[in-house]
Amino acid sequence: MNAAIALFLMQDGVINGAIYALLGVTLVLVFTVTRVIFVPQGEFVAWGALTLAAFEAGTTPGTAWLLLALGVVTAIADVLRGEIARTPQALLRAGLRDVVLPALLVGLAVWIAPQKPPLWIAGLLTLALIVPMGPLVYRLAFAPMADASVLALFIAAIGVHFTLTGLGLVFFGAEGFRTTPFIAGVFPIGPLPFKGQSLVVLAVTAILLVGLWLFFERTLLGKALRATAVNRLGARLVGIPTLLTGRIAFALASAIGALSGMLVGSLTTIAYDSGFLIGLKGFVAAIAAGLASYPLTVAAAIAVGILESFSAFFASAFKEVIVFALIIPLLVWRSLAARHTDEEEE
Amino acid sequence: MSAPMLRVENLSAGYGKVEAVRNASLALPQGSIVTVIGANGAGKTTLLNAVMGVIPSRGDVVLEGTPVSALGIEARVGRGLCLVPEKRELFGTMSVEDNLRLGAYRLGGGAIASGLEEVFGRFPRLKERRAQLAGTLSGGERQMLAMGRALMAKPRLLMLDEPSLGLAPRIVKDIFDIIVGLKASGVSILLVEQNARAALQVADHAYVMELGEITLQGPAAELSADPRIIESYLGFGGHAAAPAS
Repeated sequence: MNAAIALFLMQDGVINGAIYALLGVTLVLVFTVTRVIFVPQGEFVAWGALTLAAFEAGTTPGTAWLLLALGVVTAIADVLRGEIARTPQALLRAGLRDVVLPALLVGLAVWIAPQKPPLWIAGLLTLALIVPMGPLVYRLAFAPMADASVLALFIAAIGVHFTLTGLGLVFFGAEGFRTTPFIAGVFPIGPLPFKGQSLVVLAVTAILLVGLWLFFERTLLGKALRATAVNRLGARLVGIPTLLTGRIAFALASAIGALSGMLVGSLTTIAYDSGFLIGLKGFVAAIAAGLASYPLTVAAAIAVGILESFSAFFASAFKEVIVFALIIPLLVWRSLAARHTDEEEE
Repeated sequence: MSAPMLRVENLSAGYGKVEAVRNASLALPQGSIVTVIGANGAGKTTLLNAVMGVIPSRGDVVLEGTPVSALGIEARVGRGLCLVPEKRELFGTMSVEDNLRLGAYRLGGGAIASGLEEVFGRFPRLKERRAQLAGTLSGGERQMLAMGRALMAKPRLLMLDEPSLGLAPRIVKDIFDIIVGLKASGVSILLVEQNARAALQVADHAYVMELGEITLQGPAAELSADPRIIESYLGFGGHAAAPAS
């Protein structure tokens, strides 16, 4: 181990850490707004990478059909539950939003895929296919039990995770894929060469974190999400629809998940079940920050990334073990140090 | 004559199997202050929560002639019903101004600026503290903020749950002055209070709740002179009762 190796490991760690930071921040966001510990976050990561890889290979990604199926099932479920009123206008609006729009996206995907679209078009289409899945999953699985306990929501989240992983296997098969980088080549910065894609990861992470900060600090909708997180009853009493804030939180989760997947897709091979492990590392960071603080989550995520890359160097067989073993002392420390907080505390 | 602001009929509500309110009926004419007084645990807070839709209930809640029993909290807010709960339910880690802005969430845009001006006019203290976090305010300031936040939604009926609870007497007087001022500006008010004396002074009509049921009602001035009320709620002996005018 010399200084050069240490620098390389640091670089690697920070880049992975940036992805974990995005996922960790999303977990905190979803948890504070909806109290769901969003285990399936990793699936959106895997699907982001795999959908992009499918477009690159010139095939229609399975996520297109999944989006349509999810839209239809959710619309039917919402009508049966009475969430969508049985009036012609409401049914028409729901039909356009949940069935026609996904069908149009499927049509676009089927038409464009064989033409091997340029990377940025494939990227945008990937986002268009995956982002709506977040709110749909929320409406289908979590909204009907929005007032249940954190534990019940967590169990539902695990169920959703297994379901989505299984669907991923059906749609993408067991094989892993790698995507082409958004920016190819290597750029020397100071003593270190940086892969173009690594720079993209850092830049996109920075932009997204600043964007999220602006959204939460400067917009009424962002503040409404924060308010829902701080005090659900208070939010409802001022007329903030908590189901809407839930949908928005899940849309952000699927968007950031898919984007993260497209970013890591060229750095590592992604298979249908790879997302879980990546998401879990974001989870370690989110736990370290008590599922509450965004800046702490980012710092912890970078630390997780660096720990992972150094573990890979010194004891590569135990890389994951070391990272996940970290969660035990963290939980012990959290449970001893943090004061107990009630769910609906003022 | 126009429909009353609020009409509640045979409302029953509770938590789990415990029924904290049984068959409560009341009416609140437009532009008036109606108070519900009663001892701790009589079911007053449950009544307000049921009217607001915070907890499920049986019976009818009719707002300006429109039944709202089937609506969620958010939709009731949209119809001009606002609750300032006993626990205030502020956004503690957000600034005073952000709390107020969120009060006008449903109105948005221009309503926020005009609402802020109006609320700061009524509560100059909040203007001084606009950048401070809500969680760091004193008890009186928190109550002002909770009321200010509700006013931002431009309510037609404001329901106040124990606005004087835990406040110093001088601040209680300020709060009740503001309540009277609100009535003057056309807001109808349903006031739940343990401080029966203060509540009866500002109210037009009063209901008495005991063990989940409404047991007595009448014009506030008459109830203030009723020996039973004086003995039970106003805290001095029956012999001191002044004759009703």
